[in-house]
Amino acid sequence: MTGQLAAFRKSRTAVLAGPADAGTRSTFLPLPRTARRLRLTGGPQGGTVTEPSERTSRVSRASSRQYQQLRQARHQSAASREILAALGRDVANPGAVLDTIVEYAARLCGAHAAQLYLLEGDVFRLSRVSGETPEEYREYLLDHPIARNRSSAVGRAAEDMRTHQIADVLNDADYGRKDLQSRTGFRTLLSTPMILENEVVGVLSMWRTDVAPFDDHERELLEEFAAQGAIALRQVNLMRALKSRRAELASKVAQLEALREVGEAVGSSLDLDEVLGRVVSNAVRLSGTDGGSILEYDESDDSFHVRAAFGSSPDLLEQLRAITIHRDSTLVGRSALARRPLEVPDLAQTELDSHLDILFRDGWRSVLAVPMLRGDEMVGVLVIRRRSTGAFPPEVTELLQTFASQSALAIVNARLFRELETKTRELEIASQHKSEFLASMSHELRTPLNAVIGFSEVLLDRMFGEINERQHEYLHDIRNSGKHLLALLNEILDLSKVEAGQMVLEPSAFRVGDALDYTLAMVRERAAQHAITVTVQVADDVEMVVADELRFKQVVLNLVSNAVKFTPDGGSVSIRAHRDGNELIVTVTDTGIGVPPEDQERIFESFQQGRRGAAKEEGTGLGLTLSRRIVGLFGGRMWLESTPAVGSTFGFAIPGLPQREDEVASLGSGELPVVVLVDDDRASLDLLSAYLDGSPAQVLRAWDGVEALELVRRVLPAAVVLDIRLPRLDGWQVLAELKADPATTAIPVVITSVDDDQSRGLALGAEVYLRKPVRRDELVDALRRVGALVGSESGLSSSESP
Amino acid sequence: MTARRILVVEDNPLNLKLVRDVLQFAGYDVIEAQSGEEGLRVAQEHPPDLVLMDLQLPGIDGTETLHRLRQGSLGRNVPVIAVTAFAMAEDRQRAALSGFDGYVEKPISVRALPGQVEAFLAGRAE
Repeated sequence: MTGQLAAFRKSRTAVLAGPADAGTRSTFLPLPRTARRLRLTGGPQGGTVTEPSERTSRVSRASSRQYQQLRQARHQSAASREILAALGRDVANPGAVLDTIVEYAARLCGAHAAQLYLLEGDVFRLSRVSGETPEEYREYLLDHPIARNRSSAVGRAAEDMRTHQIADVLNDADYGRKDLQSRTGFRTLLSTPMILENEVVGVLSMWRTDVAPFDDHERELLEEFAAQGAIALRQVNLMRALKSRRAELASKVAQLEALREVGEAVGSSLDLDEVLGRVVSNAVRLSGTDGGSILEYDESDDSFHVRAAFGSSPDLLEQLRAITIHRDSTLVGRSALARRPLEVPDLAQTELDSHLDILFRDGWRSVLAVPMLRGDEMVGVLVIRRRSTGAFPPEVTELLQTFASQSALAIVNARLFRELETKTRELEIASQHKSEFLASMSHELRTPLNAVIGFSEVLLDRMFGEINERQHEYLHDIRNSGKHLLALLNEILDLSKVEAGQMVLEPSAFRVGDALDYTLAMVRERAAQHAITVTVQVADDVEMVVADELRFKQVVLNLVSNAVKFTPDGGSVSIRAHRDGNELIVTVTDTGIGVPPEDQERIFESFQQGRRGAAKEEGTGLGLTLSRRIVGLFGGRMWLESTPAVGSTFGFAIPGLPQREDEVASLGSGELPVVVLVDDDRASLDLLSAYLDGSPAQVLRAWDGVEALELVRRVLPAAVVLDIRLPRLDGWQVLAELKADPATTAIPVVITSVDDDQSRGLALGAEVYLRKPVRRDELVDALRRVGALVGSESGLSSSESP
Repeated sequence: MTARRILVVEDNPLNLKLVRDVLQFAGYDVIEAQSGEEGLRVAQEHPPDLVLMDLQLPGIDGTETLHRLRQGSLGRNVPVIAVTAFAMAEDRQRAALSGFDGYVEKPISVRALPGQVEAFLAGRAE
């Protein structure tokens, strides 16, 4: 009795899974933690072996049936509780549940031992044992698994998918595992299958060393345990799948991170060596290899050169750089030619080319070469090596192909950038040569023309005596031809400048009417000679415009002199200006012979005067082309409307008109605070306006000091942003006038200036002084400080600067 | 009253001759120089009442010549006029920024030049 008890006390689950098993027997679990197992078997609720009822079960197995049923029910429920508790406790460790099952099966069924077998291939191999079993037996059983056939209770249970009992193995003709019987002396065997999704995945089995068949309750109990075991097993399988999936994901994440890092490097850095260094180190790290290099293909000598390396000694690199890795005679070259990865699993077993020879002597044993391709172009080869022999797994090769294409991209990017740099430099030089040529041509050609025109005029003006009619006529021709040549020269130069992007506009605010009157004055004499009436009409709402005044006059003069040229005697030419929104529209209408529709577009091309009839005087054929290009530079457009025999209207539209007064008034009466921006430079104004886009403020603009004063007095804005260098009235004067006037003295002024004159600005009453160029955050901050902008609207809170 | 003396600094001999003849015809005393260096020397020997200076000169250019003139014998009150190519905005700007008192555009208008010179002289005289 005591002996039995003592034996029971020792009957802890013997888990056979060891580290060595874990690798080969896939059904084994990680070892449960000892503390937990101890608690399971020896804990207070664990149904300790000294419990009287249990002792009773051992001695009076055949006593009152009722009592037995009750006892078994109690035990069964205690066992189920225990197992459920174990399941709940050991969600992450289902192996502990199996331990509990085997332990309880043996204990509650009054067996000498219980065993759990798991399916492994075609056989059932011992996984866990509980009860008295010799160590030697366990080892033997591990090495001699049980087949799915009639020779054992386990085999029969598995084959039939139901519980099998062998009442006495020594009296069973089919029983074939006497080897096991002889080692333990068991007589009665009970085995029940563990079934998952209609498959037997294991067998739970127990025995008695006396011939004492298990009764129905014990059988049911075992089946119950088997069912629980199957659930635990499923959990084991799920856990294992989860674990491997997690490992797979972790490795994928590592790969993706590395690729992202490399991708970012490729995208952001043009330092090729840095990018390739990162590519190769990541490639080596992620493929679990020992070293690698990137060899760039050089078309000029048909060979490969080391561009980057990782895990390579300086000595190795020096050796690799010293040799020529040809395309035809090396592994690297062959992989490039074949456009697919090539590997050498054991360098000792292969014929070594110069490159591999160096690697072999440096201690490398296996090599994988992955070509770096960019479309059809062969950029280089990524070489990965190991100090050990062995084939490279396909997933490594696949991974490295991704790295190879990243490297190819990096190299191609860098080459393109290099090319672009060279091209840009060449272009800059060419453009500089062209500018120098034009400048010198301008000087060289103008200088003699100056003399031609000048001396003709000296003679024509009879400065040195009388000339006859014919002399006068010829001198006139000489002078006009000279002037024509000069005009042509100027237009060619201007066009070249436009084409080269070198025509710099100098915008200023000027009166449209004055500019049109100027052009009228230029053609008045010629028009009078042909009795052509020239008129100028400027709409009331057009006053100032911001544009390059000289170029504006050049364009209008070109249109007007053309009109005069092509209008028959006694005709008329009208120059009109009106407003369309913020655009200034200028039209020049003549009563000439018109331009046929098919010529209306062509006429803007160089040296195309169209069939506009005989000109009274030759034009250069470049005027309209140049005018249209200049208008384009203004951000405007030019067009022609013409009806043959009726006349033509050349028109152009350019931005640059200030807002109309009624618009200003309506804006000024809005709910948002008004900010007046004053600057004579259109680009500056545009920039400042853009800064305030999306701000809770209405922006009004003024181009010169006088206009600014008028505007401020009219709308009484929340703030004025004032430039200092202004036409008509400079910023200092505007500031002084605003501060002197009680109506405007309280309006805060923010000065923007290229000059460093802060003390003067603040002394004159400005609130803030900003040096140009002004950043967005500076402007917004200044307007906030003076209270012209309130709140932290999203449009303001962003701190982006241009 | 003696004729006012105009110094013309111009490297092209034909243009120099043209300007000289026109100004002489208008009654000015014209002295000439074909380079900045020569201009400095001539101005030293015969102080002019006005200088007409081409911007593009061999050796030291017009702007540099102007500076040396101002530092040297020429008083601050003698107007120095730049002769610039037509419609060359950069030239005009350069002239204005480098301290010239004005500019006349090339090609020089034979009819307008005497009047322009007279205007500059009058501006200084007031």
